[in-house]
Amino acid sequence: MQNFDMSRYKRRRRVSSLLMIGSWFAAITGLAILGLILFTLFWRGVGGLNLAVFTESTPPPGAAGGLLNAIYGSVMMTVLGTALGTPLGILAGTWMAEYGRNSRLATTIRFINDILLSAPSIVIGLFVYEVMVVTMGHFSAWAGGCALALLVLPVVVRTTEDMLLLVPDGLREAASALGSPRWMVISRVCYRAAKAGMITGVLLAVARVTGETAPLLFTALNNQFMSTDMNAPMANLPVVIFQFALSPYPEWQQLAWTAALLITVTVLILNIVARALSSSRIKKD
Amino acid sequence: MNESAPMSVGTQRPHLQPRDPMANRAALTEKISVRDVRFYYGDFLALKGISMPIYDKKVTALIGPSGCGKSTLLRIFNRMYDLYPKQRAEGEILFEGNNLLDPKQDLNLLRARVGMVFQKPTPFPMSIYDNIAFGIRLYERVPKSELDDRVETALKRGALWDEVKDKLNQSGLGLSGGQQQRLCIARSIAVRPDVLLLDEPTSALDPIATAKVEELIYQLKSDYTICIVTHNMQQAARVADFTAFMYLGELIEFGETSQVFTKPKQPKTEDYITGRFG
Amino acid sequence: MNQVASVATSAPANSITASALRRHTLWDAVLKHGTRSAAITVLLLLGGVIATLVQGSWLSLSTFGPEFLTTEKWNPVSEEFGALAPIYGTLLTSLIAMLIGIPISIGIAIFLTELCPPRLKRSISTAIELLAGIPSIIYGIWGLFVLAPFLQAHVQPVLIEVFAGVPVLGTMFAGPPYGIGIFTAGIILSIMVLPYITSVTRDVFETVPPTLKESAYALGCTTWEVVRKIVLPFTSTGVIGGIMLGLGRALGETMAVTFVIGNAHKIAGSILAPGTTISASIANEFTEAETALYTSSLISLGLLLFLITFTVLAIARLLLLRLQRQAGK
Repeated sequence: MQNFDMSRYKRRRRVSSLLMIGSWFAAITGLAILGLILFTLFWRGVGGLNLAVFTESTPPPGAAGGLLNAIYGSVMMTVLGTALGTPLGILAGTWMAEYGRNSRLATTIRFINDILLSAPSIVIGLFVYEVMVVTMGHFSAWAGGCALALLVLPVVVRTTEDMLLLVPDGLREAASALGSPRWMVISRVCYRAAKAGMITGVLLAVARVTGETAPLLFTALNNQFMSTDMNAPMANLPVVIFQFALSPYPEWQQLAWTAALLITVTVLILNIVARALSSSRIKKD
Repeated sequence: MNESAPMSVGTQRPHLQPRDPMANRAALTEKISVRDVRFYYGDFLALKGISMPIYDKKVTALIGPSGCGKSTLLRIFNRMYDLYPKQRAEGEILFEGNNLLDPKQDLNLLRARVGMVFQKPTPFPMSIYDNIAFGIRLYERVPKSELDDRVETALKRGALWDEVKDKLNQSGLGLSGGQQQRLCIARSIAVRPDVLLLDEPTSALDPIATAKVEELIYQLKSDYTICIVTHNMQQAARVADFTAFMYLGELIEFGETSQVFTKPKQPKTEDYITGRFG
Repeated sequence: MNQVASVATSAPANSITASALRRHTLWDAVLKHGTRSAAITVLLLLGGVIATLVQGSWLSLSTFGPEFLTTEKWNPVSEEFGALAPIYGTLLTSLIAMLIGIPISIGIAIFLTELCPPRLKRSISTAIELLAGIPSIIYGIWGLFVLAPFLQAHVQPVLIEVFAGVPVLGTMFAGPPYGIGIFTAGIILSIMVLPYITSVTRDVFETVPPTLKESAYALGCTTWEVVRKIVLPFTSTGVIGGIMLGLGRALGETMAVTFVIGNAHKIAGSILAPGTTISASIANEFTEAETALYTSSLISLGLLLFLITFTVLAIARLLLLRLQRQAGK
């Protein structure tokens, strides 16, 4: 009763092997290119890594120097952005998970938050420029930090809400049944249960803003000199990379690669720590 | 479902009475011969040297408590385990004289000749018609009119035609569980396999749907060699000509169903079928 | 809450003190209203972004009207601005990115779910997810110093030569090989979106029930047929959602593109020629924009970009949401 059309089967088998080879090829190509990018980055970046990078400020054209002012500026603005964005985000996320749930207000905020989560970051830069730079009349580190805070905010809101929603309602009921008031249920029980996930969210948000360039271009601008004045333009690694890489001076280009390496290593470490945290949580469960 | 008033299971089906398989003993030929098969999940030895025949155009049931290796054995017959790393079989399984465990064995051809139906119905996310036509189109280039005929024949053999003939273009997912399972059986036989493997095909179905599937198995026996895994001993007694009882990866007893159920040779078999364990 | 308090005061024998109750009531109110105000602040801030963009672009939109969208001219000196060239560049670079990125991403996802040895699977998946976190400026600097010179020296001359004289394709790949331009930007974007599309696609591929795949194999399907006829149809909404997510990234991407696009406000017939995108125009020119109309025109571009990415991402979310609901059933 078997009447297989063998030539048809052979063709099917050929098509399948061909496409599976194609899939191997895609995987190898994709990974090779991504590997090549990291390799180039380390190769060119490590070459410029020396003590001066961490002790001297960005040099004038054609001279040697370091990245101290840019590193300082990046750290300051990232800290400011995180310090502003995280508490607000956690509070808002708490309201949405604990009080708002499916109310119309919560649904609206969730929707707007999702839009902002994936909106192009340059648009955030335009907003802060209009609201802060134009009003204050000059570029400043405050504006840069606020732009970063606006990028941290949606990530933290989202993860806080998600993590709190993972806490089973039975736990809330059990705590309430003991007579704990709502605020203690949330702060002592829910936060504790969702802690690892919430920290992961904050770390991922910090990782995201560490390399952000576009929103800083016209908020913090750049500053060739060491400055600790938050009310003035401030150097930062991403904008230094942008300006130095496009310059014709080899010293500047070298510093751009080194700055790129520093950012990438920071981002990778933050991501790995965040992953380790969230996977340890899963194991504990 | 289109099923008519509930019928009392067992009364309307004369074939469910104990039969005498000795009557045509002379006609028995081995379709599949299992010879000293061992199976490993990683380091764990799940089958410890199984040898048994699967007779042509007969129903063979594999029974035993959970974890005894009956599904594992079934999944060797179409090399389904090959999809997963770290699973391997040793020994020899002759299928019409060829060892199907041979690494050179073409798996797609093997699977086209050894069909399989799973515990849970697995209709593909496409129309009822396309579910059946799917397998046919794989191996044969069939003109539309003939394809229609083949689909109709398969659905009729699957005892589903009357229930779905007016909605062939609707999704297979919209059918009831029992109908879905018969659709899967029809899909398997549309490819015209020689052997049909059924892995607990009724465990997810209600009694009426189960009765329909069992009825179908009985009708299919005239054309196909069927091997069925079941945890339901009454089902084995009802549908199978031969029964193999497995326990902890070993074949304890193999024989004609009536003999295994009425005069088991091994004390373990007797304990199991009388419900003392498992 | 008042009721609880009155019960407690009427039963002073109870060890719950009135002051503790008052404290709890106070904190309950503080937390409830505090978090609620925070949530409303988020809404206002984010709503403010949209309002500000509209307000900032008002001058330019009222000056140029709908012709802003269809004018190619971009002349800061005579103050004539049209968005056609950046729109063209944004759409074309993203199109190139998708044409290259989608097949490779899906190929990697198929490799990971169907072919990859399990030992490698975890590490490759992790590597791809980590790569999704690398800032875009890194891709930009690599594109400028490594990819663009390579394309200029080895790929573009070949393309120009091969397609010379062929109608349509000849114009598309007309010389000279600049290195930087629309083509290079498209390739950099395709590399950037690779991790996004791959990880979403792999995740949805994993949602296909194993028994469904086994049933197809049991009928004698080849691996490709299982992927093509079972896995892809079963996951199509999710895969399209993932692609849209990647497209959203590509459309809004700024830094990776700004490095290699060449920043030329014109629409050239050849895709090898320099061009610009919406985000690259803003990044390159915003701090140099002197006049109010110039600034406003750039903000209009920002609003436009926001609307385009919003549409794409909204579609992506709807599709992924529908998939979640299906899985939930």
